[in-house]
Amino acid sequence: MVFNQACRVSAIVLAATAFVGLLFARSVPVWLATLTLTVLVFATLQTFGWPGRKTVLSGLPAAPSVWNSLLIGAFLLFLLDLTVISRELLPAGIHFLVLLLNVKLMTLHDRRDYRHLYAISLMAILASAALTTDVWYISVFILYLLAAVWSLLLHHLTGGPPSANPAVAQVSSRASWFITSRFFWLTNGIAVLTFLFTLVIFFILPRVSIGVLQQPRGEGLRTTGFSERVDLGMIGSVKEDRQIVMRVELPDQADAGKERFYLRGLAYDQYNGRSWSSGSRQRRTLGSIADGVFAVRSGANRTGHELSEPLRQDILLEALDTSVLFAAPFAEFVSADFIGIHVDSMAGLHLPYTTSSRIRYSVVSREHRISSEDRAAAELEYASAIRDHFLQIPEGSDQVRHLARRVTESAVTPHERTTAILNHLQSEYQYSLDAETSTSLHPIDDFLFHRKTGYCEHYATAMVIMLRTLGIPARLVTGFLATEWNEFGGYYTVRQRDAHAWVEVFYPHSGWITLDPTPTTSSIPSPSMWEGVQRLGESIRLHWDRAFIRYSARDQMAVIHSFREGSDSARDAVTRWTVALGAAALHLIRTSIGPVQASHPIVAWTLLLASVIALSALILAVRHRWPSGHFTRGVPVRRQQQIVQHYRSMLRIVARRGIRIAPSTTPTELMQHVRQSWSEAESAVAELTALYCRGRFGNSSLSSGELVRAVEQIRDLQRLARASQ
Amino acid sequence: MTKAFGHIPTVSFQSRLRYLATRRSIRLTSEGVRFLLFTVGIGVAAINTGNNLFYLLLAMMLSLVVISGLLSEHCLRRLEFHRHLPDLIMANDPTTVTLSVTNHNRWLPSFSLRLSDVASGQHVDRGLFIDHLAAQRSVLLSYPIVASTRGKLYLDCVRAETLFPFGLFLKRALYQVPAEIPVSPPIRPVSLRFVDEIISEGQGLSLPRRGHGTQLYNLRLYQAGDDSRAIHWMTTARTSTLMVRETEAEDQRRITIALSTLAPDERNTLFEHSVTLVASLLWHLSQRSYPLRLIVHEADSGPGCGSDHLLAMLRLLALCERRAPDAAGSSLSNPVLTLGHDADRGYTVVVLPWSDPEAPAAVSGDRVLHASHIEGLTHGF
Repeated sequence: MVFNQACRVSAIVLAATAFVGLLFARSVPVWLATLTLTVLVFATLQTFGWPGRKTVLSGLPAAPSVWNSLLIGAFLLFLLDLTVISRELLPAGIHFLVLLLNVKLMTLHDRRDYRHLYAISLMAILASAALTTDVWYISVFILYLLAAVWSLLLHHLTGGPPSANPAVAQVSSRASWFITSRFFWLTNGIAVLTFLFTLVIFFILPRVSIGVLQQPRGEGLRTTGFSERVDLGMIGSVKEDRQIVMRVELPDQADAGKERFYLRGLAYDQYNGRSWSSGSRQRRTLGSIADGVFAVRSGANRTGHELSEPLRQDILLEALDTSVLFAAPFAEFVSADFIGIHVDSMAGLHLPYTTSSRIRYSVVSREHRISSEDRAAAELEYASAIRDHFLQIPEGSDQVRHLARRVTESAVTPHERTTAILNHLQSEYQYSLDAETSTSLHPIDDFLFHRKTGYCEHYATAMVIMLRTLGIPARLVTGFLATEWNEFGGYYTVRQRDAHAWVEVFYPHSGWITLDPTPTTSSIPSPSMWEGVQRLGESIRLHWDRAFIRYSARDQMAVIHSFREGSDSARDAVTRWTVALGAAALHLIRTSIGPVQASHPIVAWTLLLASVIALSALILAVRHRWPSGHFTRGVPVRRQQQIVQHYRSMLRIVARRGIRIAPSTTPTELMQHVRQSWSEAESAVAELTALYCRGRFGNSSLSSGELVRAVEQIRDLQRLARASQ
Repeated sequence: MTKAFGHIPTVSFQSRLRYLATRRSIRLTSEGVRFLLFTVGIGVAAINTGNNLFYLLLAMMLSLVVISGLLSEHCLRRLEFHRHLPDLIMANDPTTVTLSVTNHNRWLPSFSLRLSDVASGQHVDRGLFIDHLAAQRSVLLSYPIVASTRGKLYLDCVRAETLFPFGLFLKRALYQVPAEIPVSPPIRPVSLRFVDEIISEGQGLSLPRRGHGTQLYNLRLYQAGDDSRAIHWMTTARTSTLMVRETEAEDQRRITIALSTLAPDERNTLFEHSVTLVASLLWHLSQRSYPLRLIVHEADSGPGCGSDHLLAMLRLLALCERRAPDAAGSSLSNPVLTLGHDADRGYTVVVLPWSDPEAPAAVSGDRVLHASHIEGLTHGF
C-alpha cells in the first residue's frame, strides 16, 4: 500500500473509531448511524478502488457549492435540534458533528480536508468521553490513538518538503512510497510509546475540578428497603435484580470471600403489623477527626462490650436513590471525600444528600460479641430507653406470643430463648421468594402458622416480634448480604438481589448482637464458566473505574506517599548493605594485611600501593579497550573486526597460492595480482575485498548477512586452493 | 569534519557561546498551533468537569507533543556532516559544494531532514532535503554556492531541521562544520590591445636563453650524447674540432606584475578593480603560456607558469588586503615601489591604485599603471 492510500485509510479508521465511540455512548440516532456507516463503507471502498465508485460518484453532487449548502443545512438542522427536538447542546452538537463527519468523508481530497476530518474526529471522541464512563471506552481510545499516530505521521510524510525556496527544493516522491514492514512496526512502536506516555502523563497530571456550568447527570439506582418506612414484602421485589449496588474490598482480610458478609443499612424499631418504621430518626452530624475521617463511635467508648477485631472495608457505592451509607456492623470510622456524614439513633449512616455518581469510602467496623455475663444471666435488666423503643409489638400478637413461649419452654436464660427462636425459625420454615404477602392483613401470622414459607423479611420480622413478646429487645435491620466473591478483583460484588433483612438483639452488657434467622438457601446455582467470565469482566470494570474514572488528587497523594515510603525503605536497605559491605571489606583487609603490617610494615604498604596501581592500570586498560562510544557502536566495531579477520584469512590463502603480497600492496592491487595469477579466485577475492574496504574504511557497518557471505567466500577460496593442489 | 556535539573546533568564545545558545531550537508550525489550541481546550474542559476521560485525552495530546519532541530530537542527533570544498573559488562564479551526511543512529533512521548553511550567522537555504536516511548510512548532497566578493568565505555551521514525526513542531539543530575558502577576484575581459602591448614590450626586453628555436644562440665543443644533427660543419671544418650549434629559446618572455596595496579608504573600489585587473591580466597571460610572477606588497609568488602557478597567484590576490597610507602619507614602506634590479623579473608591470600626490615616488617598473590608467582599463568591470 502506498503512503497516499494509507493516509486515506488511516483517516477513515480515525473517523470510524470516533464514530464508534459515539455509537457506544448511545448518542447517535439510528438513521444517522445507518447513514454514517454507509458513508464509511463507501469511503473505504473508494479508497481501495472499488469499480462501482464511479457509478455512485456520478450520482453525487460534485460542485463544492452543493456540499457547502449541505453544511449550511446541517447547521440549520443543528439549530432546530437544539431549540426544538433534543433541546440540549450536547446531543444536538453530536448530531451536527456526525453530519460534518459524513460530509468530510465524502469530500476527502485536499490536505485541508484531512485536517478538518482529524479535528472533527477529535471532537467526536471528546464528546463520547463526556457521555460515558464504561470500560469499552479504553478500547476505543487505544484504537483512536493508534489511528491518530498513523494519520498524523502519514499526513506529515505525504506532504512536500518544507522549503522557503521552492525553486531549489527537491520534488518529493514520498506520496508514492510503499508501507514497508519496517515502517509498519516503527509506526506501531511510536503508537505504543505514545500510549505509555499517555498513561504516565494521565497519572501525574494534577487533578483539579472547578465545576463551572456543569449539569448533574442521570438518576441513581432505585433501591428498596432503605426508606423511612419498609412494607413487608418490599425486598422480595428486588430478589431477582442483578444490578450491582456496590463493590466491597476487605484489604486487611487475607481469607476474605469465604464467609457471608453483612452490610448494614438502616434499623427499624416500630412494627404496625404490615410495615416497619423508625419511631425516632433523629440524626446528628459526625465530627471530622482528621482530613476526611469521621468518627462514628470509638471502641474505647464502649467499655465493657466485647468487640471483634477491627474490619476495614473499601466500598465503591453506585449512585443510588438513597443517601444511606452501607457498612459492616458497627461502623467506628468513615473516611471519604464527603463534606459531612450523619448518623441516626440506630447507628445508621447517612450522607447529607443523595449522590448522582459513584462514591468511594472506607469504613472501619467492629462487631459486638455476647459477653459471658449476658450469656449466663437468668434475667436481664434493660434501660427504660431500650424498653420503650424495642419491645413494641402490634396488636393481635397473642398467637405469636404463645408460639414464642412454646418454642422457649425449655430455655432458662434470655440468651437460650433467643437461640431457641433462631433455631426454630431456621429449621421449621422454608425459604421461598414465592410468598406474596403484600396483600395479607397479617403477613407474619400467615408466615408462622399457615404458609410456613417466606424470605428474609418474614424471618427477621417474626424473630423480632417473638423476642419482643418474651421481653427481649430486638430490632429489624435492612442492608445487603454479600455472598458473591470476585476472585479476580478480590472483592465482594453486591447486587440488588443481595438486599437482606436480619435481626439485632440487645444485651445490656454486650450491646446489639447481629442474628440472622433466615436459613441459608441452597438455590444458588454453582458458578458456571460464563459467570466466571462475567466476574472477570466485572473485575476489569472495577479496575477501570478505580484507575481511570475515579482517579483523583487523593489517589495521586497516596501514590506519592507510597513512592516516598518505598524510596525511604530502599535507601535504608542500600545504606544497610553498604555498611555491611564496607565492614566486610575492612574486616578482609585487616585479616589479610594486618599480620603483615604488624611484622613488615614496608611490605604491607608496598602491597597496598601495588594494588592501587594495578587497579588503576586495569581501569585504564578497560577504558582503552572500551571507549565511550562502545555501547552505541559496539556492533559495528565488532563486525569491522570480523571482516578484517576474514580478509586476513583471505590474504593467507592467497599467499599460500604463491602470490606475493608486499606490505605496500593495496587491496585493489592485490585484486589485480589475483586476476592475473589465479583467475578462478577472482570473484571471491573481489567480493571479499569490496566488503573489507566498505567495512574497514567505509565507516558503515556490514550486515550479518554480508558477514555470512564473507565466510562463504573464504570457504570457496579454500576449496579452490585445495583443488589446485 | 565535526561530530554532532562532541568537539567544537577552534572557534572564538563568542562563536562557541552562540553555538551553545542556538544549537537547538523549536518552532511551532501552523498545524502545531491548532493542535495546541485543541489541547488547551481539552485541558480547560478537563479542569472544569474533573472528568478523568477528558484528562486521558489531554494526556494523549500531551504525549503526542512529547513524542514529537523525542522523535525530532532523535532525527537530529548523531548526525555527522562533512563538507567537500574546492581549494579556491572565484567571485561570482558558481561552485559545487558536496555535503556528506551520515546517520550514526544505531537502529532508527532519520526522516524529513532539511539542511541549510550558516555563514557568518546568516542562514542560507540551499534547498537540501533528505526524505529518509537509514541508520548507519550516508548520503551525498551537492549544491552550488556563489561568492559575491573576493576574500575569504566562511561557512560556520550546517543547520538541520525536521518536522518529523507529526509536523507539529519544526526542530532545528546546529552542527559546527567550519570551513574557510579563499575567493579569488573574478576574471574579467581585458582590452586585447593592452595585453598585446604588454606582450610586445615584454618580448623586446626578454633575455636570450638557450632553448628550442631557430636563432643561433651559441657554438660550443661537441660533447658525448649531443645530437649529431646539431654539428655546425662549417666551424668544425675551419677549426678541425667538432663544434655543435645551440639555438635560442623562442618563448622566454617573462612578465612580473606588482600590485601596490596602499590606498586610502576612498580608493577602495579602485583598489578592488586593480585586483580584478591584475587577476584578469594574469589569467590572459597564463593562457598564452607566459612565465609569470606576482608581487603583492611583501608577498611574492615567484616565477612560474601553468595552472597551479596561476591558482597560487590568484590565492595571493584573494587574500591581499588594502592598506591605508600612514599619517604622513609616506609610501616608503611600499615594497612595490622599491623593486630592485632583478634579472629574473623580466618585464615588470606595476599597478598603483594610489600614489602619494605630495611626494611622488620613482617606480622601478617597465610599465606603471596609475589610477587613471586603471580606471580606463577597468571601466567595464
